[in-house]
Amino acid sequence: MKKLNETQLQELEQDLNAIRDEVLADLGERDARYIRRVIRLHRTLEIGGRVMMPFGFIPPVFVAATASLGVAKILENMEIGHNVMHGQYDWMNDPNLHSQTYEWDTACTAESWRRTHNYEHHTYTNVIGKDRDYGYAVLRLSDEDEWKPWHSLQFINYILLSVLFQWGVGLHELESEKLRRREIRWRDKLPFLKDFARKGGRQAFKDYVFFPLLTLPVAPIVLAGNIGANLIRNLWSSTVIFCGHFTQDAETFSEAECEGENKGHWYLRQLTGSSNFTGGRWLHILSGHLSYQIEHHVFPDLPAHRYPEISEKVQAVCRKHDIPYNTGSFARQYGTVLNRIFRYSLPDRVRTRLEGGSAPQAI
Amino acid sequence: MLARLTQSKTMHWLGRQLSNQDNPESWLDPVLAKINPMWVQAYTPARVEQVIQETTDTLTFLIRPARRWTGFRAGQHVNICTEIDGIRRNRTFSLSSSPLLWESQGLVTLTIKRLPGGLVTNWLHDQVEPGQVIGLGEAFGEFLIPEPAQPVLFIAGGSGITPVVSQLETMAAQDYPAPVTLLYFVRTHRDVIAGEKLRALASRHSALTVQVIATNESEEPRFLRGGDLDEIADLKSREVYLCGPKGLMDLAGDLLHQRGVTDDRIHSTFFAPPAPARLEGDELGGEVTFAQSDVQVGSEGDANLLEIAEAAGLKPQYGCRMGICHQCSCRKTSGTVINRLTGQVSGPGEENVQLCISVPRGPVSVDV
Repeated sequence: MKKLNETQLQELEQDLNAIRDEVLADLGERDARYIRRVIRLHRTLEIGGRVMMPFGFIPPVFVAATASLGVAKILENMEIGHNVMHGQYDWMNDPNLHSQTYEWDTACTAESWRRTHNYEHHTYTNVIGKDRDYGYAVLRLSDEDEWKPWHSLQFINYILLSVLFQWGVGLHELESEKLRRREIRWRDKLPFLKDFARKGGRQAFKDYVFFPLLTLPVAPIVLAGNIGANLIRNLWSSTVIFCGHFTQDAETFSEAECEGENKGHWYLRQLTGSSNFTGGRWLHILSGHLSYQIEHHVFPDLPAHRYPEISEKVQAVCRKHDIPYNTGSFARQYGTVLNRIFRYSLPDRVRTRLEGGSAPQAI
Repeated sequence: MLARLTQSKTMHWLGRQLSNQDNPESWLDPVLAKINPMWVQAYTPARVEQVIQETTDTLTFLIRPARRWTGFRAGQHVNICTEIDGIRRNRTFSLSSSPLLWESQGLVTLTIKRLPGGLVTNWLHDQVEPGQVIGLGEAFGEFLIPEPAQPVLFIAGGSGITPVVSQLETMAAQDYPAPVTLLYFVRTHRDVIAGEKLRALASRHSALTVQVIATNESEEPRFLRGGDLDEIADLKSREVYLCGPKGLMDLAGDLLHQRGVTDDRIHSTFFAPPAPARLEGDELGGEVTFAQSDVQVGSEGDANLLEIAEAAGLKPQYGCRMGICHQCSCRKTSGTVINRLTGQVSGPGEENVQLCISVPRGPVSVDV
């Protein structure tokens, strides 16, 4: 990890605070208009998808309906839900866009998400052992995790996780790895499981029971389309999220490094532990602007559509402090993620030989 | 429409399953607002029909709420909600028309004075034009005409007259059988709100006596005095209604007590413009009410709401404790807080705050 002394950290903090303050002072109608426009698009796509789905016996209509509903779910999860729950729009004082009451269109409850993602992941970003998002407790992505034989099959785990992503995210807080190690008891997780069953049940009821039954004669088509839409969302969101912290140059940290850290150090960790990808405007919107993962991690509660506007300034701060700014094309970044998942599935001996070094390489 | 439909329990339940929102009727609002703002379901939309100049700094807005609005009783208030520069603002105003106007023509009026520095009143005065739509909540308040009829004394000051106008008009329409007296205090006669209407009511309704008193037209300020009350026949048997600035309300309360009027006969509705924003260290702190936990504690200095809550033994949800994660965001129902990070001073009304960076300035009430 790039080291800065106290004075430098303080200066980094001030530089980034200045960018943040400038945006905060400028928040207003433009941001409200933006998020409402995205919401209108989401509502239109969702209603469009649901209405077209029963006519899915015509193949092109089936494709259009499934794509429409899938994209609706992507927009809702990525650009609306995730960002609203970060408190990006709390200042609007609109009860329907409030971080603490918003509920999103996925199996994970908003409450569990706010705990595991907003608090744990965003506070302890990439700290191995504390950030459970690092590998989601099913993947080994760093040599600070000891290699076990079952890791060699982790590519299959990765594919399963991607396909069933909403259920994986929903069950993240179960902390199955701690249950396995008997650090916690099932009994402790009962309240969580109850909430998960309620929300997961609601999602399954909606997509796999209610809408198919509503259009009974074509129920199998509607069911298939709804499964397809959920699958599209699962694969896309998993892919985007994996590009945020698991790319080749995204750094990881030890608990010792972060003990008693100040805001400047937290900023530094967010900058070096996250990675962006480039692309067109729609790629950014469909990723919920997580394509600007670095900006998002530095300013998680600024409206995400502002990230492209402040990116230049954040890069300038990085250059000034000689901090790497990790970005690249979507394909390149995702390539390095797949590479990392594959490399760390191998025993260290094999991996280091493959990497052409004799000693374990620092990531 | 949707708001009505989801009143049925089954439909509301189904709406929640499908939309993931606690108030599913407003799920489509962003789309509806674009097509026709009168279709919005989150609140009752009301179209501004006419804006009438009362005095130099007071306007009356004649508005037509959507028909699903449930109406009101004379003397009640209503929350209006507007969006100013992307931020939803809720403020309470008295309804100044009689419920008869709503029942017969579907119209109501709000009479609103421009407050110096006031965000919402200035916006209403400067930006709102006929045709625009504002949001309305349901009417509330216990400032109501006595039933059965009893002698009544109104003491109103400045724009505190607005709920009284609604009551007087209602009383005139039902030919209220007991004597009614209004003492109306204004700075100068130019500041009289609804002057013509008051004169017309007094001439139409024989039981009504109206006395307008200008406080600032003589060299010595002419405030409410004992003599004003002594002239009122059988004062002790009257139901007394107070509405105006705090100074007038306090003074009236004292003078009435001295004359043996008991508290159960005095009805007041609080009315005071918010204090202008200033940021000084010694003004920080204040009485904090955690409404859901039914806990009230004092605070001093720059202790934030999260620390104050925890010191009082409460455990509100929290996360990073440095203003990043919004885990501790909750609803402030009244009072002013200062954002510890930005030094920004909040408005006095209902809004969301992050507990861990909000320092109370004066009494604050939050939903914790």
